[in-house]
Amino acid sequence: MVDATPRRWLPQFCSLPTLFAVMVVAELVALILVLAPDSPERPWLPRLGVATVYVQWLALLNAVVLCSMRQPLERMSARAGFVSAWLLSVAVTALAAAVVWQMDQALGLGLSTPFGQGQRFVLGNAAIAALISAALLRYLFVLEQWRERVRAASKAQVDALQARIRPHFLFNSMNTIASLIRTRPAEAERTVEDLADLFRAALGSGDTPGTLGEELDLMDHYLRIEKLRLGDRLHIALDVGELPRDLPLPRLLLQPLVENAIYHGIQPLADGGTVHIAGRKLPGQVEITIRNPLPAEARITTSSNGVALANIRARIEYHFGTRGELRVEPGGGEFAVTVRLPDASPDR
Amino acid sequence: MRALIVDDEPLARERLAALLGEIEGIEVAGEAATGFEALEAAVRLRPQLVLLDIRMPVMDGLEAARHLEALETPPAVIFCTAYEDHALAAFEANAVDYLVKPIRIERLRAAIGKAQRLSGATVRKIESAVDPGRRRSHLCARVRGSLVLVSVADIDYLLAEDKYVVVHHAKGEVLIEEPLTALEDEFTGRFVRIHRNCLVALAKLAGLERTPDGRVFARIAGVTAPLEVSRRNLPALRKLVRSL
Repeated sequence: MVDATPRRWLPQFCSLPTLFAVMVVAELVALILVLAPDSPERPWLPRLGVATVYVQWLALLNAVVLCSMRQPLERMSARAGFVSAWLLSVAVTALAAAVVWQMDQALGLGLSTPFGQGQRFVLGNAAIAALISAALLRYLFVLEQWRERVRAASKAQVDALQARIRPHFLFNSMNTIASLIRTRPAEAERTVEDLADLFRAALGSGDTPGTLGEELDLMDHYLRIEKLRLGDRLHIALDVGELPRDLPLPRLLLQPLVENAIYHGIQPLADGGTVHIAGRKLPGQVEITIRNPLPAEARITTSSNGVALANIRARIEYHFGTRGELRVEPGGGEFAVTVRLPDASPDR
Repeated sequence: MRALIVDDEPLARERLAALLGEIEGIEVAGEAATGFEALEAAVRLRPQLVLLDIRMPVMDGLEAARHLEALETPPAVIFCTAYEDHALAAFEANAVDYLVKPIRIERLRAAIGKAQRLSGATVRKIESAVDPGRRRSHLCARVRGSLVLVSVADIDYLLAEDKYVVVHHAKGEVLIEEPLTALEDEFTGRFVRIHRNCLVALAKLAGLERTPDGRVFARIAGVTAPLEVSRRNLPALRKLVRSL
């Protein structure tokens, strides 16, 4: 599989956290310079001020240059890019030091080395920059790699949680279609379309969220297929008109609950039953409840049902944190699942 | 050859009937939607071939196949299934023919050509491979050439008499030829032994009664026959009743 975003190895120098790290390191360098025992006999506070201004300016200059050179650097291999970034920062520092020294001499401020020692000033600056930027680049590089790994790991977790449609459903639907083609071609055609929509959602990546409206449509497609298959055994009571269709929602968050209701509730009953799907708006929340009858022999939550519910619960937690919840209420020959999701939109 | 189609989905039955209609020498004798209906239909219609879906409500295909063996002339059985991966492995292992849905007519034709009767032992082997803790939903008794099915949930108690076990249930009693210990093993937790010759449905047990002469009897709602609890089984039974 081709990853859409290439692996990034160069830290984002324009991002605030990285800039902050660069500035902290620069300030440490300024402090070291001032505190070094071999420094000239002048009051330390003004010297710190001058050093800070100079070092911070150098640091930000380096950050800006590396940030703007990001694209050509990223195109190189990690090793070549790393060395290039390092050489670039040394060159920028040397150049800037030379300019500053020239300006210092011209203005006669005497903040840098005395006249005639410009070469020493520039080389010294370049050497310090070489050491510090090597360490800093390495640190940021490792940090970025670590972040990338954490990102990949959590994405893998979400991908693993992606709703899967039971294989049983696919084959049963294929059988339904095979049967319909002979006698009712129009219905067969529509069933193929419904099935395609469901699998498009199930096989798609979890990155692009859908809406509640799309989810309700998927649920509808699913129920239409199951209705054909189970005939008079499946009755559906749908009351979801009140729900906001544009509410963002991870795909296939509700359909597996309806699938569960049919798989564990309707299919094992010879006479079938009714699946109730009701939705309502609460202040800042929407609530969807799915109820189904439960056959006497399966009053205990079967393990596969538990897995599906745990999966959806984990996905709700991942996407909505504590603002979403899934509650299960078995009892009285019935099984009810209630999902509450946050509805952030104020105009509803 | 007369064939019986058993599937809980109307469209699946419709398609199978259409396919069978295209095969020479096959006549569709009837259809059934559950394993239970299939056994009733099998007694009535005497088919030579039964096409059995595996997953059905009330009684599934595997259990129906097991009860079919009790018929005087058991029909040949072909299993049909949408997706039951470990069941398929069990069929392969026991050389039992099966068809996967959507069924191909060539496969159906070939399966009919070599369809065979299944022995109860073979079906039991498949059952235990698919789901080791499986229990039947019904007990099956042969009464004058016909089959009587008793839902396990309706059974009050089982009493061993000579070679038989008498099944006392909500609507009467029937005789089955199965050892009591095998029933005790299969339905552990559902029936409890109160005597060397008696198992009682735990759900129907209303309490224990002590007579003045020191004997203890189990009480079942709606049952007047005295069911004596043996000394050996009393302590365990007492514990069980208290924990209910």
